[in-house]
Amino acid sequence: MGTLYITQDDSYLGKTDERLTVRANKQTLLDVPLIKVDGVVVFGRSTVSPAVVIELLERNIALSFLTHTGRYLGRLEPELTKNIFVRAAQWKAIAPSEPALHLVRGFIRGKLKNYRNALLRGLREFPELSLQPALTRLEQAIAPIDTTHTIDSLRGLEGSGSAAYFGSFDALIRAEGFQFTHRNRRPPTDPVNALLSLGYALLRHDVQSAVNLVGFDPYLGYLHTQRYGRPSLALDLMEEFRPIVVDAVVLSAINRRVLSPENFETEPLSHAVSLTLEGLRSFLRLYEQKKQSKFKHPVLQTQCTYQEAFEIQARLLAKYLMGETEKYPPLVLK
Amino acid sequence: MDDYIPIAALNQYAYCPHRCWRMFCLGGFIDNQYTIEGTSLHDRVHTVGENQREEIWQIRAIWLKSDQYHLIGKADLIESGNGRWYPVEYKRGHVGEFENDALQVCAQALCLEAMTGKPVTLGYLYYAQSHQRQPVEISTELRQKTIAIIEKVRHLLETGDMPPAIYSSRCQGCSLYEQCLPKAADKVKRYREA
Repeated sequence: MGTLYITQDDSYLGKTDERLTVRANKQTLLDVPLIKVDGVVVFGRSTVSPAVVIELLERNIALSFLTHTGRYLGRLEPELTKNIFVRAAQWKAIAPSEPALHLVRGFIRGKLKNYRNALLRGLREFPELSLQPALTRLEQAIAPIDTTHTIDSLRGLEGSGSAAYFGSFDALIRAEGFQFTHRNRRPPTDPVNALLSLGYALLRHDVQSAVNLVGFDPYLGYLHTQRYGRPSLALDLMEEFRPIVVDAVVLSAINRRVLSPENFETEPLSHAVSLTLEGLRSFLRLYEQKKQSKFKHPVLQTQCTYQEAFEIQARLLAKYLMGETEKYPPLVLK
Repeated sequence: MDDYIPIAALNQYAYCPHRCWRMFCLGGFIDNQYTIEGTSLHDRVHTVGENQREEIWQIRAIWLKSDQYHLIGKADLIESGNGRWYPVEYKRGHVGEFENDALQVCAQALCLEAMTGKPVTLGYLYYAQSHQRQPVEISTELRQKTIAIIEKVRHLLETGDMPPAIYSSRCQGCSLYEQCLPKAADKVKRYREA
């Protein structure tokens, strides 16, 4: 199982028997059994045949559309599951409520602890780095989470923890030609931010698919407020995965020199930075490899891939909201 | 047809109430190896047909219904001989793996009685793996057990209340394991976040 990324402009996605084919310039670029596909992401412009649309919907396979530069545009949505009970529980917990508060604490604690663990890992590898001040600030943001009783104050802790982490992110970059000063987006104006934004767009495709699969309404979240067209719950559940999936892939792409500054191009005037087609393909390979890599899930104590972990966390979230478990355990990895 | 109880739900309820809830209240049915084997077996069985084998009439894949018990379902095979009708339910696997299969035969017998007006005292379970027919006596005890389960399933379908997910040895072959995660509640309770 894996996600199919279509990066070739003007490709044609067709279906032959039980196989998905990608053709461009009168050549078949890819021919895979549908049973091996659990998601499709199209970059730029492609034609998707009606037969493929029907097949994807029937198989509950999500199809997302991104721009060339990786900005998220939208998706073909398979029918919501019939799980009205989980949606009812989700709406019942709408903020301000004790379960909403519990979940927001979980999402933020998960994210900040994973930030902390990323810095600790950096420190183990390069003891000369001066990461201690950032780690102290992160600890100061993590410690009061469980005794903070408003969602707004929790957002404040998240903000200060994130600022500490991103203030030190540059130190984790160990390759010539790449620097990071601060997070910028829409559009990102340097290579590191371009990679982070692209990675978060890919992660969103995956987490939203998991959230839908379990039967949630993706537009009602707890940490992210309601806003027209924003899949707040998917964004909530993404938080704990940002450092362990996307940031990790970005750092390894740079530090292992899979990508070099030549893999990026800058738009005139807007200074928007994005990957070249070749760079994009390298990055997608790394991202997919990461998703398929295995680890021991700290709660379930079984081996799983990151791809499976998206769904496991969504199911644990559903179990908490349905009253089957006492708490929501965010995925925290050492 | 609305609020008729699918006969298949009885078997599932007897196997695991939580699984029954997932299948019939959530529509969360996912195939695994066993259900796919079961389905291809049923593809053969569920082709409407009628033929006469010696003195026995056979009708395959017909709808069964009982207004009295609000039951509805599809029979694999109905046979008649010596003026008696009886249901034959096809299963993968071996004789005696799960006693809940008998409930399904009994529910079919209740429908058959309503449809033919004649008492049904015997049914059969046919096991594909061993090619064996196991007689199922439609005893008073089995009838009472079946009627009690019908009541429980009716209540479940009406309320939609979730029966708890309880881990047992049966969970191992269950196609809904990854959705249900029956050990999760216990594991979450014991988990200490790093």
